[in-house]
Amino acid sequence: MFLSLRGVTKRFGSVLAVDHVDLDLSEGEFVCFLGPSGCGKTTLLRLVAGLETLDEGEILLEGTDLSGLPARKRNFGVVFQSYSLFPNLSVARNIAYGLECRKWEKEKIKARVGEMLDLVHLGQHAEKHPHELSGGMQQRVALARALAPEPAVLLLDEPLSALDAKVRESLRGEISELQKRLGITTIMVTHDQDEAMEMADRIVAMNRGRIEQVGTAEELYWEPATRFVGEFIGRINMLNSPQLRAGFDGSAGEAALAIRPEHVVLSEGGAHSGKVRKVAFLGNTMRLGVEAGGQEIEIEVHGRRRRMNVGDTVTFDLPVDRVRRLAVSSQ
Amino acid sequence: MSVLSSKARASALPDSDRLFGVFTVGATGLLLVTFVLVPLWAILKNSFVTPEGIGLDNFVRYFTDARFVTVVGNTFEVGISVTLTTLVLAYGFAYAVQRTCMPFKGVLRIIALLPVFSPSLVQALGLQFLLGRNGFVNRTFGTEIDIYGFWGIFISDTVYAFPHAFLILSTALAVADARLYESAESLGAGPWRIFRTVTLPGTRYGIASAAFVVFTIVITDFGNPVVIGGNYSVLAVEIYNQVSGQANFAMGAVIGVLLLLPAALAVTGEKWIARRQFASLTSQSVPLVPRPNPARDAAWFAYSVLVALAILSLVAIVIYASFVRLWPYNLSLSLRHYQFDVQNGIQPLWTSISVAILTALLAIVFVTGAAYANHAFPMRANRILYFLAILPAAVPGMVLGLGYILAFNTPGQPVYWIYDTILIIAVCNVYHYHAQGFLLATTNIKQISSTFDEASATLGATKLRTVWRVTLPMIWPTVLAVGVFFFMRAMVTLSAVIFLITPSTQLAAVSVLYLDDRGALNQAAAFAVCIMATVVAFLVLTQLALRLAGIRGVNLVR
Repeated sequence: MFLSLRGVTKRFGSVLAVDHVDLDLSEGEFVCFLGPSGCGKTTLLRLVAGLETLDEGEILLEGTDLSGLPARKRNFGVVFQSYSLFPNLSVARNIAYGLECRKWEKEKIKARVGEMLDLVHLGQHAEKHPHELSGGMQQRVALARALAPEPAVLLLDEPLSALDAKVRESLRGEISELQKRLGITTIMVTHDQDEAMEMADRIVAMNRGRIEQVGTAEELYWEPATRFVGEFIGRINMLNSPQLRAGFDGSAGEAALAIRPEHVVLSEGGAHSGKVRKVAFLGNTMRLGVEAGGQEIEIEVHGRRRRMNVGDTVTFDLPVDRVRRLAVSSQ
Repeated sequence: MSVLSSKARASALPDSDRLFGVFTVGATGLLLVTFVLVPLWAILKNSFVTPEGIGLDNFVRYFTDARFVTVVGNTFEVGISVTLTTLVLAYGFAYAVQRTCMPFKGVLRIIALLPVFSPSLVQALGLQFLLGRNGFVNRTFGTEIDIYGFWGIFISDTVYAFPHAFLILSTALAVADARLYESAESLGAGPWRIFRTVTLPGTRYGIASAAFVVFTIVITDFGNPVVIGGNYSVLAVEIYNQVSGQANFAMGAVIGVLLLLPAALAVTGEKWIARRQFASLTSQSVPLVPRPNPARDAAWFAYSVLVALAILSLVAIVIYASFVRLWPYNLSLSLRHYQFDVQNGIQPLWTSISVAILTALLAIVFVTGAAYANHAFPMRANRILYFLAILPAAVPGMVLGLGYILAFNTPGQPVYWIYDTILIIAVCNVYHYHAQGFLLATTNIKQISSTFDEASATLGATKLRTVWRVTLPMIWPTVLAVGVFFFMRAMVTLSAVIFLITPSTQLAAVSVLYLDDRGALNQAAAFAVCIMATVVAFLVLTQLALRLAGIRGVNLVR
């Protein structure tokens, strides 16, 4: 394995921010840490970067333990959420900074800076200062600065969340493309599931300092392992009422049974019936809130259908192969 | 390809960042212990040393002497009365500047700050020219006002403390949430009720903070009471009498301890209040912008002009007196007092300027260094370091100065070699005003996002490189402001340095005192004018240099 985390643990006072995390990354992979705020994803990234010290566990890069190696010696490129460009240095000097720290020759630095500027399409802005650039441009400079010293791993800490929607969209594509082209192992922290699903090779879903599930976007969506993942990525109905649970494995027990709204099938003479409580028309999609068996269940239907009204009675089926049995999230 | 360089693997070697951290924190700590703790310890030790051994005899002797007990009472009488008066006057002035639309705010503000630019005895000197036995009022109106004593100290210290209270209260009144005022108004509250229920509670921390600061300044002030106190003695003057007059170091130390206690309490109170001062404003607050109201604005303008004139008159009369032949008998204008044909001539002014420059340079390195060390290297020792760094705020100048004599005036002592030089005076100034400079620098260093440090580290920079390439280029205006602050303080300070000067290291502020003591009032005034002119010229030149360098918006007086 290229980069391995083994039992990585970090406490802040009595709070367990990162709780015995194990994870393996192969070279050239793009991994996203995804989770709500406070789930420990940023702390985990900072531990990898060497900006926080481990309480327990180890982080191995090609088998070498990194603990005790301060951030500046790890050779990891980091891009921060707030544009952390040095305000007193020009764009070119910002990009050259890491190279100067590594005592590259002047000629080589100059060539490398030019190369990096071309990479992020900012060639004509070399002599500008950060405050003269837009947020998106600043973040591209930050990316170029992090990549210039040929880091072993690229770490992105919510790099897009300070930008407005349009810029975010285009930068997503740019970062992904850059990452593929350079083949650099990358970890990105985000709380935006769309971002993670669009960009990552694998997503690490985190909650309360622990990893809930690791997998591709498809795996996490179609086969969520835990209730947390099911609810955090997309929408999901938890089946609580005995009536709806009847006939499924473990229906009598405590098992968490769940189905995504688009998997519920509206059909004449379906096995269950309920009353429509909410109707949301969203264009090609219509979302219904249906009360059935003493609980609310969300149903999503696509395409043109006859108009539904609050108070209508509908019948539906819960296909066996679509109902997932989820593990209860850790604690 | 191995991604780690071979150098990186050798992490068992001491890391250069760690070395740098240990060095800066260690050096800062050592200096603070040497130049703050050791002198304080010397004072404490000497207050208990008697010919019969260690004991409380000195304190017993002090408190059984009725005269000494009166001195303690006097100190508190002056401290409390001046504090209350200054608070009321400065609150009104700050209110007028921040909350009304009166004209000439800028000029009035500068006049209010004037006393900061002169040694604390200048107010008393001006008062002598104005209300003294041969003063302007008594000579013009034939009255027989005797200003020496309580009232003299009261008036001159009120003027002296005024700018300090004004600055704090002005800051407190500058920020306010307009929504509160609008709701109060829409609920039908009149101006007086709004003032009582919104304005006053909104500034209560500022008021408390100003009260503690003014109280400390007044009870520790030496210059004004020594000039105009007459037979009305206070603790700061009494230390001087005991040490310089009678060479009674033990009694000086006892009085030092007595002065240290209330000052320490006041500073502790101020810090406690300051910590509570957050969260009155949120990001949603709407800033309050005063609206014109001709009648109200005129009334506040009249009040402010009156206060400003009072402050200005004390300065103006000193300047005037320095140019007349012989106050008050011959008022024809003359430059003869600027020939300085007495004592060491003009030399003390040059010494003062050298000391001030040296103080500023030392402060730039050591005070901003202390702030940086405290911020950049999270170690357990940092709490102690922080405490030591702000401890001097609680140490009156007279006490620190006496501590320096007691601690360092012993041959064979490691720092004895700086004794009798201008270096010890500069060092004493640095540590006398250490807390203010340290807090100024700390506030600004903290405002710089830690992401810059982290970004620099992940790019492979050592802390030392980060300081040079990133931190300093961002905080240099603050570093400069620290330098300017210490230069100004060093030019005008009197209390701490009075014990440390020698005939060859005589300072300008002390010259004013000696000349006044000898009755050479005109020369004293001329010397005082030179000090004020130097401070103002220095400020103007620095500001001009910044302008020429194309830099604007750097606030040098903070």
